[in-house]
Amino acid sequence: MLPGIYMNDAISVRIKINMKRNSSTKKEQQFWAYTFLFFPLMLLTIFVFIPILFSFVISFFDWELMASHQKFAGLNNYIEIFGDKIFYKALVNTVFYTIGVVPIQTLLALFLAFVMNQKIRGRAFFRTAFYIPAVTSSVVTSIIFVAIYSKEGLLNSLLGNLGIQPNDWLTNPKTVLISIMMLNIWTTSGYFMVSFLAGLQNIPASLYEAARLEGATQSQQFWHITVPMVRPVTYFVVVMSLIGCFQVFDQVFVMSEGGPNNASTTMAYYVYQNGFKYFRLGYGAAAAILLAGIIMIVTVIQKKYFPPYPY
Amino acid sequence: MVKSTLKYIFLISFLALIISCIRDKAKTIRFSSWQSNPSEKRLTDSLLHCFAKKYPEYKVKFELIPGNYSEKIQLMLGTHSAPQVFYVKDFVAPSYLRYDVLQPLNEYIDRDTSFDKNDFYPQFLNAFTKNGKIYGIPKDFGCYVLFYNIDMFKAAGLSEPPKDWTELEEFSKKLTKDINGDGKTDQYGIVVEPSIDKLMPFVFQNMGSFQDKDANLTLNTPEFQGALEYYYGLYSKKIATIPTDVSMNNIEEVFGRKRAAMVISGGWFVPQLKDQYKDVNYKVAFLPKGKQMATIAFTVSYSSPKENPLKEESWKLLSYLTGKEGMTVWTSTGIAMPTRKSVASGLDYINHPEYKIFMGSVDFAKVFQVDYNERWFSIAQSAMQAIFYERADIPQKLKQMENDIKSLRLKK
Repeated sequence: MLPGIYMNDAISVRIKINMKRNSSTKKEQQFWAYTFLFFPLMLLTIFVFIPILFSFVISFFDWELMASHQKFAGLNNYIEIFGDKIFYKALVNTVFYTIGVVPIQTLLALFLAFVMNQKIRGRAFFRTAFYIPAVTSSVVTSIIFVAIYSKEGLLNSLLGNLGIQPNDWLTNPKTVLISIMMLNIWTTSGYFMVSFLAGLQNIPASLYEAARLEGATQSQQFWHITVPMVRPVTYFVVVMSLIGCFQVFDQVFVMSEGGPNNASTTMAYYVYQNGFKYFRLGYGAAAAILLAGIIMIVTVIQKKYFPPYPY
Repeated sequence: MVKSTLKYIFLISFLALIISCIRDKAKTIRFSSWQSNPSEKRLTDSLLHCFAKKYPEYKVKFELIPGNYSEKIQLMLGTHSAPQVFYVKDFVAPSYLRYDVLQPLNEYIDRDTSFDKNDFYPQFLNAFTKNGKIYGIPKDFGCYVLFYNIDMFKAAGLSEPPKDWTELEEFSKKLTKDINGDGKTDQYGIVVEPSIDKLMPFVFQNMGSFQDKDANLTLNTPEFQGALEYYYGLYSKKIATIPTDVSMNNIEEVFGRKRAAMVISGGWFVPQLKDQYKDVNYKVAFLPKGKQMATIAFTVSYSSPKENPLKEESWKLLSYLTGKEGMTVWTSTGIAMPTRKSVASGLDYINHPEYKIFMGSVDFAKVFQVDYNERWFSIAQSAMQAIFYERADIPQKLKQMENDIKSLRLKK
């Protein structure tokens, strides 16, 4: 009995101590957590949350930077945007861009990751090679591609060998957007390949083993094991690249400035153009709010109809 | 003990540093510009050096804005942090003058007896004047003239540059050639560009305009349309080329690499011809005459913001830079032409074989300014591109262009 009582006491005491220590560590943890969170949160508030809120406010004004008084415009900016032909052109361009880039990019990234996950010779080299465009500044890659796409550039001389007439890719309204899309697919599929690689490595090898025993071919393994198993990663990749595509700006800015004849004006470029080239900050802000709305709607639709964990 | 003394020394010197910074800032004139090439940088440095020598009591800090100049200046004006003296392009002047952000300079000009505003060619001063108030002093100007390749002219049996529209077309036809006989044209008469500022001299020559006195658009007039049809006609008749058709970046390159016998460009092209295209044997001439002689001129002013604690000091710098002495230094290399008559005759540009063409163009040159939001320019460019690249119908495109630009009228 005695030892038992003692033991009970000892346990209860220890629990008490533990509880005490627990509660103190919990408080302490919370304190430190909030302390560490405070600075990034403050920075985010100053540089992200307040500007977002402010741009929402601005979008209801006829906001002119140099004027001393800003005129309230109500919904006029929004009404004007819906009557602006260039806005619709930018919208169509952006949607076309997204529909073209996202599926190809995702499939290519998955395919590359699948190949890179095999035990092939020079794997490290290929991984690096495919990832380099993702860590290179987009301005640099854009300038390189301006040279490649120029009339006497690499692409035309390669096509010339096949007997195809040279085309000025970036000043031809029919090819300018497609040219920028190709560049974007090239730069970002390496980036998403890494996400897929991480996903692939989480698939238990036993699944493939079992499939092999049953006599499944490589391509069957790919479509029936790999693709469903990386679905959460695919979800992440598609969401991120959708958002990226809707916001595409730097390539357009460097390569074509939205031209020729607005054939490559995207939503983000339209916002920039109106805000900082024509100095209609209110109008630009209204367009930015609309763009944010569109991205949100698309993401919600995606989450509803293509959830990350369907099972 | 030592530690605390050190601490105090550190603290005091830190305070002294801050105070000296503030005092220094209060006395320094900040000056901003863009820079299109390295020689302009050297010129700015030497100009500021001359100023510092003459007025050692003033301190000038040069703050270069390497890109997106107008955007940056507007942001600085809007956030009350603009430099005391900066460049303003004639092109953006109407939208700047609409707001009350630049300092009217009349009282300083009137007080300063050595300044003499009548020495300026009036159209350049007018570009920065609104309701009688002068908001900027033009530092220099450039204008479009005709560059022609003497060797090509000789080979085609021509000795003189074209004098009028008929001759321009006729000469271009003679100068368009397939030299190596492969069935493709290697040399064009003239190189043109689907750009509104290249079209405007032709419009003015045809007695047309972009807007009338009350700033109403005049794009749907026979004069404007006729000029555009003539200009596009040179291209559609295949006696002119555009840079993208010969895979080059700009019309100057097409001329420099001998793919075209004529080009319309400005004084900024001269140094490039001398450095990069030494083997091109060229001459400059007045633009050919339409119904009248005309060309467009570009000018840039020095201006000051209205919100400025150093008004007197700024005027000192501004009046030196645009005064006879400063302008002589600035334009002595011929990179740009002087806006003061006395400087032009002092440097003897009126008799210079090349510069006399630029100086002579002043008599009929117009500064091209439009009282519409900057967006008008991209609308106009798009229309020009549609006409050249997609063969859009000219009268229809002009109608559409006028409709699109109409609503962008600057207020007031």
